[in-house]
Amino acid sequence: MSESQTIAVQVAAIEQVTPLIKHFTLAPLDGGNLPAFSGGSHIIVVMRGATRTFRNPYSLLSPPNRLEAYEIGVRRMEESRGGSHFLHDAVRVGTRLEIAHPVNLFPLDKIARKHVLIAGGIGITPFLAQLEDLHGGAVPYELHYSVRSPAHAAFLDRLRDREGERVRMYCDSAGEAIPFDALLSTQPLGTHVYVCGPEGLIRRVIDTAKASGWPGSHIHWEQFSVPPVGDAFDAFLAKSQRMVHVLPDQTLLEAIEAAGIDVPYLCRGGVCGFCHTRVTGLDGELIHNDHYLSDAEKSACKSIMPCVSRARGKSLVLDL
Amino acid sequence: MLITGIKSKPVYTPLSADIGGRYHLMLGMGVGAAPLLRVVAQMRTEAPSALANTRVLYVPPSGDAAQAHVAEFQNTGVAEVRTFGNAQALLAAFSALLTQALMGTRLYVAGPESFMGLGMKIALQFNLNKDEIRAEESGSLARRVHCVHCRAETEDVRTNVVQCVGCSRWLLVRDHYSRRLAAYMGVMADAEAPGELPPIQEVFA
Amino acid sequence: MNAAFKPDETFRGDFSYQNSEQAIRRFPLPFPDDKYMYSVNIEPHLPGPQGSVTEFAIDIDEHYVAECRERALVLDAEPLRFQALPHMMSSQWDCLELIMESLSRDYPQHFSLTRHGNQWHWVNRPLQLTQRFTFGDPATLPQQPLEYITRQAPGDWVVMDQREGDLWTEAGMVTTQADWSLNFDLGMTFKEWHGPVPLAHEIGVFDRALRFLLNLRLGAPVRRLNWTMTIHPRLDTAPENYPFWGPDRAMVTAQNAGDLVHLRVELQGLWRLPRSNAVVFGIRCYLISLRELATIPKWARRVHRVLKNLHPALIDYKGLTRYREAAVQWLAPFDDGAPTSPGTAPD
Repeated sequence: MSESQTIAVQVAAIEQVTPLIKHFTLAPLDGGNLPAFSGGSHIIVVMRGATRTFRNPYSLLSPPNRLEAYEIGVRRMEESRGGSHFLHDAVRVGTRLEIAHPVNLFPLDKIARKHVLIAGGIGITPFLAQLEDLHGGAVPYELHYSVRSPAHAAFLDRLRDREGERVRMYCDSAGEAIPFDALLSTQPLGTHVYVCGPEGLIRRVIDTAKASGWPGSHIHWEQFSVPPVGDAFDAFLAKSQRMVHVLPDQTLLEAIEAAGIDVPYLCRGGVCGFCHTRVTGLDGELIHNDHYLSDAEKSACKSIMPCVSRARGKSLVLDL
Repeated sequence: MLITGIKSKPVYTPLSADIGGRYHLMLGMGVGAAPLLRVVAQMRTEAPSALANTRVLYVPPSGDAAQAHVAEFQNTGVAEVRTFGNAQALLAAFSALLTQALMGTRLYVAGPESFMGLGMKIALQFNLNKDEIRAEESGSLARRVHCVHCRAETEDVRTNVVQCVGCSRWLLVRDHYSRRLAAYMGVMADAEAPGELPPIQEVFA
Repeated sequence: MNAAFKPDETFRGDFSYQNSEQAIRRFPLPFPDDKYMYSVNIEPHLPGPQGSVTEFAIDIDEHYVAECRERALVLDAEPLRFQALPHMMSSQWDCLELIMESLSRDYPQHFSLTRHGNQWHWVNRPLQLTQRFTFGDPATLPQQPLEYITRQAPGDWVVMDQREGDLWTEAGMVTTQADWSLNFDLGMTFKEWHGPVPLAHEIGVFDRALRFLLNLRLGAPVRRLNWTMTIHPRLDTAPENYPFWGPDRAMVTAQNAGDLVHLRVELQGLWRLPRSNAVVFGIRCYLISLRELATIPKWARRVHRVLKNLHPALIDYKGLTRYREAAVQWLAPFDDGAPTSPGTAPD
């Protein structure tokens, strides 16, 4: 995907919805409509900072049929490479940004007979859009929303108004927890479960569902993984004959792009496989942070997903 | 339009227990009892607690063998064994069971292919997908053939060429299979040279 | 394309279909070389040269009105050539939007689309129809959205839902197909649908194509060419009607092959759809007789060689067995053995 495929937008509104989460409304710069999308989609937001460019994925929370603007929710991340900080601190109403076309790696299953949605914290965002797709339809659904305290429950009023009893909230501060076992062991055939939020929550849902006998194809998750930080390292791009230096808070993909070389990408989060790159030389080790390569492929060290993975050691040579 | 080389023919593998499932539902017909009994035996060794959540629906063969098979099932320790006089009755009961079934259910089907196809067609309506269904062909390989010209279904086809019960055309029986119709495709065999049929052979015994 | 529509040309009965000289020169020859084998020949569906079949997202040519009329005839006789499973409604609207937007943007002289929120007004001048409707409300259209719009869009349209890491063929308008049945294949996955294609599976074509299509992005459509041959310029070569068009294959001689045998090329466009996240496959069919083709010397040489050396499994699968020899013989005098220039464009 190249830069020319982005859509120019302007920040039309910013709202602090919880102490850590800001709600941004993005409108197209040239007026007109943005592309329609399916609930669960995310956009890559391109933010040009003073010293570097950030490209972070954010779920669209706006109703999919609202075409005059997109809405995203951004949590300020403690350990961050800066993208969320940039949005929270440097972006104002009127700031211009670029976004890529929506991509959906977390869609609702269209032939499910029931949908169980489980959100933790900022993980509520994709479900807001999906609820619009589900609302008024024939397929039953319910949302279980876990937050650390009522003050951190973003968009709760909007949810309650629209969905009433179909939304159940659980506050850590009140000692409430989602009853995973009971929830997942009593669902009718054809139910799909969708989870979005911290790694621990996702793990718990997957493990409980599997222990209850759910097959993998009925368990869906989206993760907001900030590409991990690490030590600086170098990569030699054999085809381009360029040496690229990857900074500690920069991904290998970003470093390659900064050097002016295009690598196909999609999710920028280690799941879709689009940036798959061949490793033709390695003296050291690869640090695979993706969810795409098989265990065998990871240990063979002939492939790397530069959007999230890194290397350590004396040298790395890539087929780029 | 050759029979060979088509990759959309279903492939069956010998049944084994899916211990990852919580409830196990078995559909069997005739000699399909054997693979199902094998699965139950495997459960008894590897996960005996699964037997209490296992139910069997079975159409016994006619004759003396019937009682032997039914007794074998009843001795296995599964939660329930129900027998039926024919496939239609079994499938109606199966459909009713699925309306109450929970996530975690696994389906095992063994019997003639056309019986299995009908069972899986019902399973599809409940969004049971390939992770949750295991099927082993046992007994007759005879096919249900869907005539692409008149859409009639010709049952129990054992030959490579068959006369359609609907439009009387001679149909080449292809390996291209539809799960939605639970049938193989039949296409007119002699359209280009009327009367010129390939040698008719029994292929699906 | 600027040539006038030929509303009365037929694709059945007297087969009055013919290509103008302009249509011949812009024909999408699918053979970049003198030999042919399957490949994952997908490329971005970006605007091609002016006047070419790929200049616009959806190509409207001189045959447009006649093709729409032919489609209507097929549907009258066989309504099941259009089907859509119930969960595919949002993809139907996506397709309607895609086709209306493309046609009105690229052929404003023929089509207009005006929208006030959900109130849409569509005008199709070549077919002399106008329709006001509410986008999203099927009750405001005379047919289901996909059927409604594909009755006005050339080629077949197949919509695949994406789930469980696969693509499922679950809606379609299929009246100009090269021998596959929507009714039979409805519900099949991508590889099952392509099951009958020989060799391609062994060389991994469908694995890679599927992987690619699963990652198809909004705003980044792709295209490829596929081909076969048909006797007479017959668009409807569905298996359902094989008893009626099959016998034509046995009528070809080395003398009449030039007029009877047609190269049939599918320009396939693939788009990711916004609201449904489904993938739509537009399969646009172009027909040219060997005689018309041979008016371009480079093409006569190339097609002769491709046909002569075609892999036996492809000959059989593409249904060429009975008449390939006759076609090769008819083309032979045009092939002087001279080298052909690279690429498909006429010299």
